[in-house]
Amino acid sequence: MHRLSTALALVLALPATAEEFNFAVTTDPQTMDPHAVNSTPVLGFLNNVYEGLVRRGKDMSIEPSLAVSWEPIGEGEGWRFKLREGVTFQDGAAFNADDVVFSYERAASEQADTSSWFAPVSEVIKVDDYTVDIMTTAPNPIFPDSIANWMMMDSGWAEANGAARPDKDQGNYATLNANGTGPFQVVSRQPDLETVLEPHAGWWGEVEHNLTRVTMTPIQNPATALAALLSGDVDFINPVPIQDVARLEGNPEVRVIQGIEARVIMLGFDQQEGSAESGQGGADMFLDPRAREAVAKAINVPAILQTIMRGNAEVASQMVSPAMRGFSEANAAPYVYDAEAARSLAEEAGLAGQTIAFKCPNDRYLNDEAVCQAVTSMLAQAGMDVSLDAMPVSNYWPELRADNFDMYLLGWSPGTFDAEHPIRFLAATQDDEAKLGSWNFGGYSNARVDELLPMIQSEIDDTARQAMLDETAKILQDEVAYVPLYVQPLVWGARSGVELTQRPDDFFILRWVTVN
Amino acid sequence: MTRFFDSDIFYAFRTSPVAIVSALVTAILVLSAVFAPLIAPTNPFDPASLNLMNGFTRPMEPNAFTGETFLLGTDDQGRDVFSTILYGLRISLFVGVSAVLFAMVLGIFLGLLSGYVGGWTETIIMRAADVQLTFPSILVAMLIFGVAKGVTPVEYRDQMAIWVLILAIGLSDWVQFARVVRGATLVEKSKDYVAAARLIGRSPLRIMLRHILPNVLSPVLVIATISLALAIIAEATLSFLGVGAPATQPSLGTLIRIGQGFLFSGEWWILFFPACTLLALALAVNLLGDWLRDALNPRLR
Amino acid sequence: MLSFIVKRVGQSVLVLLITGLVAFSMFTFVGDPIDNMLGQERTIEDVERLREQLGLDKPFVVQYYRFLEQAVQGNFGVSYRQGRPVAEILLERAPATLELAAVSGIFAILMGIALGVFTAIRRNGFAANLIMSASLIGVSLPTFLIGILLIYLFSVELGWLPSFGRGDTVDLGGWTTGFLTASGLKALILPSITLGLYQMTLIMRLVRSEMLEVLRQDYIRFAKARGLSDRVINFRHALKNTMVPVITVIGLQLGSIIAFAIITETVFQWPGVGLLFINAIQFVDIPVMAAYLMLISVMFVAINLLVDILYAFIDPRLRVAA
Repeated sequence: MHRLSTALALVLALPATAEEFNFAVTTDPQTMDPHAVNSTPVLGFLNNVYEGLVRRGKDMSIEPSLAVSWEPIGEGEGWRFKLREGVTFQDGAAFNADDVVFSYERAASEQADTSSWFAPVSEVIKVDDYTVDIMTTAPNPIFPDSIANWMMMDSGWAEANGAARPDKDQGNYATLNANGTGPFQVVSRQPDLETVLEPHAGWWGEVEHNLTRVTMTPIQNPATALAALLSGDVDFINPVPIQDVARLEGNPEVRVIQGIEARVIMLGFDQQEGSAESGQGGADMFLDPRAREAVAKAINVPAILQTIMRGNAEVASQMVSPAMRGFSEANAAPYVYDAEAARSLAEEAGLAGQTIAFKCPNDRYLNDEAVCQAVTSMLAQAGMDVSLDAMPVSNYWPELRADNFDMYLLGWSPGTFDAEHPIRFLAATQDDEAKLGSWNFGGYSNARVDELLPMIQSEIDDTARQAMLDETAKILQDEVAYVPLYVQPLVWGARSGVELTQRPDDFFILRWVTVN
Repeated sequence: MTRFFDSDIFYAFRTSPVAIVSALVTAILVLSAVFAPLIAPTNPFDPASLNLMNGFTRPMEPNAFTGETFLLGTDDQGRDVFSTILYGLRISLFVGVSAVLFAMVLGIFLGLLSGYVGGWTETIIMRAADVQLTFPSILVAMLIFGVAKGVTPVEYRDQMAIWVLILAIGLSDWVQFARVVRGATLVEKSKDYVAAARLIGRSPLRIMLRHILPNVLSPVLVIATISLALAIIAEATLSFLGVGAPATQPSLGTLIRIGQGFLFSGEWWILFFPACTLLALALAVNLLGDWLRDALNPRLR
Repeated sequence: MLSFIVKRVGQSVLVLLITGLVAFSMFTFVGDPIDNMLGQERTIEDVERLREQLGLDKPFVVQYYRFLEQAVQGNFGVSYRQGRPVAEILLERAPATLELAAVSGIFAILMGIALGVFTAIRRNGFAANLIMSASLIGVSLPTFLIGILLIYLFSVELGWLPSFGRGDTVDLGGWTTGFLTASGLKALILPSITLGLYQMTLIMRLVRSEMLEVLRQDYIRFAKARGLSDRVINFRHALKNTMVPVITVIGLQLGSIIAFAIITETVFQWPGVGLLFINAIQFVDIPVMAAYLMLISVMFVAINLLVDILYAFIDPRLRVAA
């Protein structure tokens, strides 16, 4: 804590120079440890501090970072990475192959939250100081795509500070301190209050930004964050409440940066026999695909986007957005709104007279509760009786895990930016051993989908792979496994004069920020 | 009845314009809440009747898509704000009145008991009051919410929130009543008429209810009125923190929670009208309570 | 006397223990911390393992016993969310809340007494009636709404005051203070008014009614008859005599200012213990929730205890009754 000097410096300094940049986020990153929690706030922030072998560019394409090149080994036995030379960590230590091996062991350890990324990896071998072989159990064409967030930590630093493994329970040195190779370094960290970054003088890359000091403040209340942006207390906020976009657009001092997130918002259903919550004969109401189709047809998604999302989102047709690799063009037509058809389907499926227990988070996705309310009234108009129960997300996941629902709202953003990701987590039959279907709360199960998944994972030929992804998307659409609603919009707000780049993964990359 | 009109209280009421106005406002609000289904042009609690395309209609201006016009505009779901306020007022008043009644009955009972019986009973009750005071009411509400969720079948979930609110607000309010009643009971108990009643063999329960209770009623009435205003505000705060009435059947507090999200975006009416209604109700009840306290305290007149 | 104090302290400890037990029984209902500690790609096994590691698979009574065992040794555990000792976090956050509470308290007392005296002296004046009615508006709107409206008016529309946070702070040996910088002082204004408004109204109304009561007393009439000036009567005699009940109420209100700070801190993103607690609820950070509730309980119970003991000194009859 050098707060006295900092504070005095601020008091004595002339009016803050433009290069001092303040921004607000809704959720503070829980940790500074890049392997302890696999969540957007943590990985998004740490991408400014730590770096991986590869990284994503402004258009989300994979580009060299700490590795300068990579190539497959043999017939898909693994991948060989050539490391960049002359890279130093923020504490001055040099980066080499030992740090890669160490970071693999750390990130793949049982204590890490990133271990699932390394499920296909059998071994990581140091060939020489600047060459590393990553061996996979089966051919894995998208492996380099899947490790953009696998960040390199200095083995010497971690071991000297007793942080050789992440610790989610007690925390350790790496929870509060960071030492990466990235363009910014953490100079002070007060969880939930303020985190201060300064440029890393020894960074290997070419500096595009003009920031000298960056302060991140978490502000939970969206109205307060917006007020802070309007009054100039902060230079950037994420997200801007969707209803305030129009007002900000009319204000010359601020600007709105809009885009489409990778996250698809969808409805899921309880499709397991005898496990739904109302338990009075209505338990298995969504076992019948006609019942799920009735819901799909009863919802007027364009109307929801027009009013609640104020024209800022796009209708979704499948579990991934068109920007993702492996999106199925063949199945790009969304379900069509048809209240009459929905009503007769609901009657045929025996939904009439039953109460559908609809669970919804109220602090997880943009306007989630309002969307659920709109869905409730649309289903009611098609003759379905829905009991909506909206709750904070800390109660929400336990409720879903306990199977206390007939229908629920879920948003999914594929970490690999590939259509295989949601199939693995949401559509595959639940299998704890094989780590499949771990978010498939409704228990959807289709033998053909289960058969296709491993084939998709190891297919090297793009056309053959896409054909299998198309087949899966068609099955899921025909059986109405989920009802995709829309692709969540990204809405950032900044003071005018701030130049930045918005990426669909919702990561705010500081090295692309300039302040004029 | 004539006795009432001749009473000091009525005289004081007749001569106080503030009291008359606030009583009038309260009466209007209570009546519109009670007769909401007759007055309201739509039923906002019926999801099937809502048209999402009506969303965000400005007051007194036709909607761009549907051409419908609404007196006080509509909210994000296309609900008529005027009707929703009437129905929301109904919930807020019901919750407020029930919570205060619950707190009052519980508080009076425990206060009488601890004051009259004393000993261990008193110690336990007064320490329970301490425990109660240490818990912020939002936590009490969350606890009861969680438990209730576990035991309520899904068909009754919609109504559950309201009973939880009543219980939570009532539970955090009884202490005041108990303390006042206990204090007054301690004073009354030592007086001669109680000793006389005891001597002639009246049962303790009868003594408490017939002799002591009437003497503590006027402070209880004052506390009850002020508690009512507080309970209505507390309901709003709990709904703001997300443990209140559900958004599908909103109370005034829930409406304010929803509306405050639209304060900066220019849809001011979604917040403004429910907030004004809440302010009018709480203010009128507060003024009435204030006046009542002065009127019942003869020395201040 | 000693036996009374011993008995009363014993009861207080019992109250604390029960409070803690109730608190622990409700943590299960606040939610499950696991999902916040693991990311999107976790497996069901990871969930079970972490739950066991944190001891969440045990009944709440066992969890409570463990907490107590550690707490008596001064160890409140490690925050699930921040991965640091809870005691450290609480100490770091306490100055923000205490400074906010102090400023709102002083605002409430000074404004409350001044307005109370004024409205009592000018009992039927127009201004006094206006103040009396306006003060009721302050208690007829929920705190969060008042806060939001103040931000809207003074930060967004007028741009005079900051919309959130404490501004720049200076570290004085572990105590961060906002009193020494201009931005720190400016940042205090809106939250203090929001938090202190309710207490101010309460004090103002109490002072007014006590003043009216005292002004009616015979000795004031005598003083008037003796030809003492209004100023001397009002301030030397009347106000002085209203102070005893006012001070009692202020003492009791101190605790509730800190408890009410939860809402104000949420609206203004004020980095105090109240905001910490709300965040802890959101993330089901059980060690933080437990420590905060224990702290608040100790504070309230201590205030109650002190008041009771003081009364017992003043009024010996109560000793027998207790």
